[in-house]
Amino acid sequence: MNILIIEDESRIAHRLERMTNEFFANKKTNITICDSLQKGVEEIANQLPDLLLLDLNLNGDNGFEVLEQMVAASFHTVIVSANTDKAIIAFAYGVLDFVPKPFDQERLFKALTRFVSPVLKQDEGIKYLVVKRAGQVRLVSIAEVIYIKGAGIYTELHLKNGQKELHDKSLEHLQQLLPHTFERIHRSYLVNFEQVEKIFINPGTRYSALLKTGEILPVGRSRYKELKNKII
Amino acid sequence: MTLLSLLSSPIIRNEDPVPVYKTGDDMAWAAKNYNDKDWSEKRGNTSDHIFWSRTHLDLGKVENDLKPLGLQIESFGSFEVYWDGVLIGKNGQLPKDGKPEQPGTESSYYRIPNHLISPGLHTIAMRSSQSMHPNVQRSIGFKINNYATLLTKPLVTMSYMNLMAGAFLIAAVYYFFIYLNSKRKQRDILIFATICLLFFALLIMEYLKFHVVIPYSEFFIRLEIIGWLTFINALLVPWYFIIQFNFRKEKWLMAALLVTLLLMYWLNYGHYDLTARLYSLAMLIAAFIVVLNGIIEKEKGGFIAMLALVASALVNKFVVYDYGLFISFTIIVLSMLYIHSIRASVIEAEHQDAVLLSSRLQLELLKKNIQPHFLRNTLISMMDWVEESPKEGARFIQALAAEFDIMNEISEQTLIPITKELELCRQHLSVMGFRKEINYRWEETGIDETQLIPPAIIHTLLENGITHSEPLPGNTVTFVLHYFLSKESHQYIFETIAQNREIMTGRTGGNGFKYIKARLTESYGQNWKFESSFTRTGWKSTIQILR
Repeated sequence: MNILIIEDESRIAHRLERMTNEFFANKKTNITICDSLQKGVEEIANQLPDLLLLDLNLNGDNGFEVLEQMVAASFHTVIVSANTDKAIIAFAYGVLDFVPKPFDQERLFKALTRFVSPVLKQDEGIKYLVVKRAGQVRLVSIAEVIYIKGAGIYTELHLKNGQKELHDKSLEHLQQLLPHTFERIHRSYLVNFEQVEKIFINPGTRYSALLKTGEILPVGRSRYKELKNKII
Repeated sequence: MTLLSLLSSPIIRNEDPVPVYKTGDDMAWAAKNYNDKDWSEKRGNTSDHIFWSRTHLDLGKVENDLKPLGLQIESFGSFEVYWDGVLIGKNGQLPKDGKPEQPGTESSYYRIPNHLISPGLHTIAMRSSQSMHPNVQRSIGFKINNYATLLTKPLVTMSYMNLMAGAFLIAAVYYFFIYLNSKRKQRDILIFATICLLFFALLIMEYLKFHVVIPYSEFFIRLEIIGWLTFINALLVPWYFIIQFNFRKEKWLMAALLVTLLLMYWLNYGHYDLTARLYSLAMLIAAFIVVLNGIIEKEKGGFIAMLALVASALVNKFVVYDYGLFISFTIIVLSMLYIHSIRASVIEAEHQDAVLLSSRLQLELLKKNIQPHFLRNTLISMMDWVEESPKEGARFIQALAAEFDIMNEISEQTLIPITKELELCRQHLSVMGFRKEINYRWEETGIDETQLIPPAIIHTLLENGITHSEPLPGNTVTFVLHYFLSKESHQYIFETIAQNREIMTGRTGGNGFKYIKARLTESYGQNWKFESSFTRTGWKSTIQILR
């Protein structure tokens, strides 16, 4: 597993490194430290990490300006910052967690645990999914999303206006970020449950969900019972 | 009042009755019907001789309530006045038995006997001498009105004028006091006070004839004084506007005005009323130029001043000179007072801003150590040190405590000893060394320990240096502070010897430089220079404090 730490204060960077190593004690982890945003961005271009630990205020550079780029990428981002007042915005943009400085081991482990177990969700609300299109980043409001379809290493966001957007994050990663209203109805589908009209059985015991838009999506056999209960 | 007197029908029906003269002395010349056909309209130089003048007035019908009638004569010389051959009074003492003349005053009043008032022609014969100004020929002015009215009307006018004079006197005294007691000796206040005082003097001089009996021989002295008072005010009023409206070509305009006024004086010497009118015209034109320029430059109060000038010019043109000058002048002075109050409020606001800036800078200084980026990063590094090496952690905490102590000590001051500033920098470096684990080195050359400096400006440069530098091989960053004293300035050069970091995003910074500049302005006004730029070896900032 590749973990990238972008932090300009040596002492803090090594603290993060030490604790992360401790957390992933029995997994093989490869941790890289960059002491500037510039170097961090180069490193990402070089090799995509699985997790990014990012400080927002680096040598006078404003990390927020690259935050959009980071959250649009396939990996998860955890902010480690002294600017606690930025936490809500960071969550709205879809970071996995915001660890305020000064932090202890317990707090960092909580963030790392969230990274390894998809079930845990944060309480703070994500408001946007940031998508990249032709090099430009665009904010897609969560409320606009009807369902998300896994498509290889990408995902397809299906929006209310009928358009589709590609996202670099996997269905699993998005599910971690999105609120509970988004249900995994199928191996390849994550649906905003408020958009589901009904769930029904097709001839041949195949299950489907009818959306308010009239679209029909497949429902996984294992999920049917749970979903049926939910809808009633 | 002025208008009313113009509207009432005149008692003397013939306009500008012309006196005729004859040198010599004969009591028969007093008679009403004496034939004076061969008398001359020119008096000529009468030396210390006695001469007679005869003037025929055509009286209209006189209502009874106007009686008794008074006669006002405006004339030089000493004389006896005969109304239709009857002596009704005298002014001064004619030369008699070898005794010289005692001069009369220019304006004198006589009661006309009731039985000698009838519609039709009357003769005023004056037995005169004019030995003090033997060759000055001034026409003789006659005015007839109710005797009491004739005497009191100018006094009523004077009482109003004195009211105005009193106001100007108070203003003059008040502004002189303000000038004397203010730390900043403002030229404009002094000028304004002088204008008020001169105007007070002008009003007093104008009506002096009612306080003091001025012999006709001294008549011109008063006019001369009035002329010069007007002259000086004609210079001062535009000068005041020049200062208030920041007029740039001050010297040129003032020189031109002075030359113009002097020319007017020489060319019209002796024509006092005309000269005074020309003076005020020159003053209005000069002030107009300045105020117009002020309006173009968008100076505060420009329109008010322009309004006042226009009103003043109109009054000057359409109201009788005696009042006109004073009313128009009062309008201008009022507008000056108004502009002054605007200026005062601007200065007050500037002062408040300065106070506000000082407290804001103080706050900014205190904030340096509690702003989350500094505090939280320091705390977490401290946590780490304490967890890993409690001994080092304790040293770290002590370094931070020392930095806080110095900050606390200097926070309320606007200038601190340079030694304090250096101590602050060294403590800060020690703290940052624990955080960044970079080998920070501090050097200083030529420091004069007696110098004072605004608090935390070198510290701010140091913070910038730490933030924007990457260590050189050997993990070191070196900071050097040089001090140079020259004839013109104290100079501090602060160098960061390191590798400059590349900047990716739009800088949110610049606040550090703002702080430094604001601190320099707070303590040195405009007398400082600040430059900062990268160099081959890192970064270099220069602070010059002009001596």
